[in-house]
Amino acid sequence: MEVNEQLIQAITRAVVEQLRRNGVQPPYGQNAQKPSEPGVNTLAGKTRMRPKHSYEGAQKAPQGTDPKEIVIGVGAAFQTEIRSTITGIPLEEVIRNVKAGIEEEGMTSRVVKVLDTSDVGFMALKSAKLSGSGIGIGIQSKGTTVIHQKDLYPLTNLELFPQAPLMTLETYRRIGRNAARYAKGEMVTPIESVNDPTVRAKYQVKAALMHIIETEQLDPDKGMIPWEDGDKR
Amino acid sequence: MKLIAGVDIGNSTTEVCIGGVTDSGEFRFLSSASRMTTGTKGTLPNVLGVKAALEEAMDRIQRPVSDLSLVRLNEAAPVIGDTAMETITETIITESSMIGHNPSTPAGAGEAVGELLFIGNLWKGKPGVPYIVAAENRFSYEEIASRLNQYIPELDICGLILQADEAVLVENRLNRPMPIVDEVRHIGKVPEGKLAAIEVALPGTTIRMLSNPYGIATLLKLDAEETRAVTPIAKSLVGKRSAVVIKTPHGNVKENVLPAGEIVLHGEQTLQVNIDAGADEIMDTLARAGEIRDIDGQRDTNVGNMLNRIKTSMADVAQVGGDEIRITDILAVDTLAPVEISGSLAGETCMEKAVGIAAMVKTQQLPMQQIAARLERDYHIHAVVAGVEAVMASLGALTTPGTTLPLAILDMGGGSTDAAVLEADGTVRTTHQAGAGELVSMLIQTELGLESRVTAEQIKKYPMGKVESLFHMRLENGAMQFFEESIDPRYFGHVVLLSPGEMLKVEEDIPMERILEVRRDAKRKVFVRNALRALRTVAPDHDIRRIPNVVLVGGSAEDFEIPEMLMEALSEYRIVCGRGNIRGKEGPRNAVATGLLLSYLGTGER
Repeated sequence: MEVNEQLIQAITRAVVEQLRRNGVQPPYGQNAQKPSEPGVNTLAGKTRMRPKHSYEGAQKAPQGTDPKEIVIGVGAAFQTEIRSTITGIPLEEVIRNVKAGIEEEGMTSRVVKVLDTSDVGFMALKSAKLSGSGIGIGIQSKGTTVIHQKDLYPLTNLELFPQAPLMTLETYRRIGRNAARYAKGEMVTPIESVNDPTVRAKYQVKAALMHIIETEQLDPDKGMIPWEDGDKR
Repeated sequence: MKLIAGVDIGNSTTEVCIGGVTDSGEFRFLSSASRMTTGTKGTLPNVLGVKAALEEAMDRIQRPVSDLSLVRLNEAAPVIGDTAMETITETIITESSMIGHNPSTPAGAGEAVGELLFIGNLWKGKPGVPYIVAAENRFSYEEIASRLNQYIPELDICGLILQADEAVLVENRLNRPMPIVDEVRHIGKVPEGKLAAIEVALPGTTIRMLSNPYGIATLLKLDAEETRAVTPIAKSLVGKRSAVVIKTPHGNVKENVLPAGEIVLHGEQTLQVNIDAGADEIMDTLARAGEIRDIDGQRDTNVGNMLNRIKTSMADVAQVGGDEIRITDILAVDTLAPVEISGSLAGETCMEKAVGIAAMVKTQQLPMQQIAARLERDYHIHAVVAGVEAVMASLGALTTPGTTLPLAILDMGGGSTDAAVLEADGTVRTTHQAGAGELVSMLIQTELGLESRVTAEQIKKYPMGKVESLFHMRLENGAMQFFEESIDPRYFGHVVLLSPGEMLKVEEDIPMERILEVRRDAKRKVFVRNALRALRTVAPDHDIRRIPNVVLVGGSAEDFEIPEMLMEALSEYRIVCGRGNIRGKEGPRNAVATGLLLSYLGTGER
């Protein structure tokens, strides 16, 4: 495929402009000077997309022991800097549906925020290791999700949902249900994966920006912290 | 040294055996090979499979096929097996009178009786009347729970029917415990205002009240006449985890017997038997009819069409007129097939009665000579059709260490079960019976409701295990097997078939115990029944006890449990029975091909 530099620049500019106009997500630091004109150039000299969120006083999430427990590990910017997925599904709805899926199968869930990494595979694996059942779910703020098991290698997993723009609340419900069934040792039919080749072209820039926002909020000293009522913070 | 080949074309595999004769007349076996039979046994397309097998066998001794000086083909018995299956009952729910399925997670436990009311009409409810509420999936579990909690103080709500899979979610939010049935797909068909009884069983148990006619009578206050009418409902709810029975004036569950039709057996006497009578009756009638000339079915009935279909497909492959095709033997087996009940609200299934039939079709003669001619033309090697299959198989079986004359063989292949007795004086009695490996696969497929025949074949062939964690699995005999490296997550929680070298996943969610039961049952129904039938036919004076030893040969003798089953069944008659070991190393395969070479030595053609 031919890469058109100008086109990429134009798209980036349009996205940044959109983000800026939405107001809720100003892509500039607090004390940044007002840009004279919209465009990529105005980002020059800026080191952050968002101010660093303080997790002062947060305790490390404890190791789970309940075999019925499934840990949901969410991204560093989840419900703080980012409040909805790449397609605009509110994150509290996402969490609510994953938890409902787990509950319907008779298992319990615990939400933690993963501050060590923004790689969804490792997020899921870390959650699995923390989980009493050994099954964990990693959810990035943009919506990408992985179901993992504590004894697997990081890059293998139980189920991976790589294309965040194609996720619906029904998918999240089923992810919760499947994770619970893995924990119960039942036969699980993997959720059929949908694939849309145009997704990458449409969402790549937005995904990259959201990932940067998430990554810059990492705080490896804190590790994983409880995030039960995330939306109230 | 002169190289000769024996070729045995069977219903499902083509076996080849290569032997060498030295100038001094000494004979040695050199190589063998086995391939899938291409096309129907005894027809020209077989040539492809024969060639592939010959090339593979010659390759093993690093000689070109053209070095062969003679190819001996079996005089294949002109019998071809085929199988068909027909359900003979159907179940219909009238007036949406019941819901009885196995949702994975119903909630609450116990039973309740009440008037049906949709959640949108809760405001119409009257205090003091017990209600069972039905909720469509346009309401979320939170809405359903909060609405019910709002009405619980004034209304007597005693049970809940949900469309979505949310029973546990709603239960966890309700202020009052009650039985909840979920995953009811066609909830709109629930008749509002009717009296209904609901029951949910505790985990690991099945319902007790609604699967008992008197239980239904107790709950719905039925009189003796009405109780008799609900018996089919109770019967169809046996074994369910949850159920709802609705009292409607004409509602019921009906079992219709489909017009399955009669089978006409033209033997020494012409007898008729109805398919409904069941497999045992059919087989008894078959035995009474004596030697069968032809079998057909009543026109325009299921069985008539089924037998016709077998005949026409055989006429096509054998390229002869339909009149020359005759069915000379059938094996009928009773079976059950899971079929979705018509008129169901939640996709209920019912085990419908079905009958599986394997038929043995006889043509005038199979065009074996054409195959020989084609081989001769393509390879420029002399090819002859030599030796009757059963005799050759007996000769080959004799190479099993520890055997002696008189000897009986049981050749269990894919399409037919053949038996032969070879007496010490050289006389041979043979028989061909319908029904073998392929019928077993079909029974497994039907009873488990499998999508593909391939899975059924694999279930038949390999032992199973259930992957319980990523590092261990429980084998079908209860033993545990542990792994150093994690099992591929795709297998997690699945029943897997342990084929050599890889694990095959069973996609359907069927407990391992059930698969095991169906597999063993199918093998027993077909092979044990057929073995006794076949041995009785060839035994001196039809007395099985007079057969001293039986060697099992053919593809199905390689099975990991069929020989043991037969051994068990035949030990009753004090017969030594075991899997053959042709030439002390081939196992039960290659008997006919080996026999073809041995008979060559006897002919003095060298």
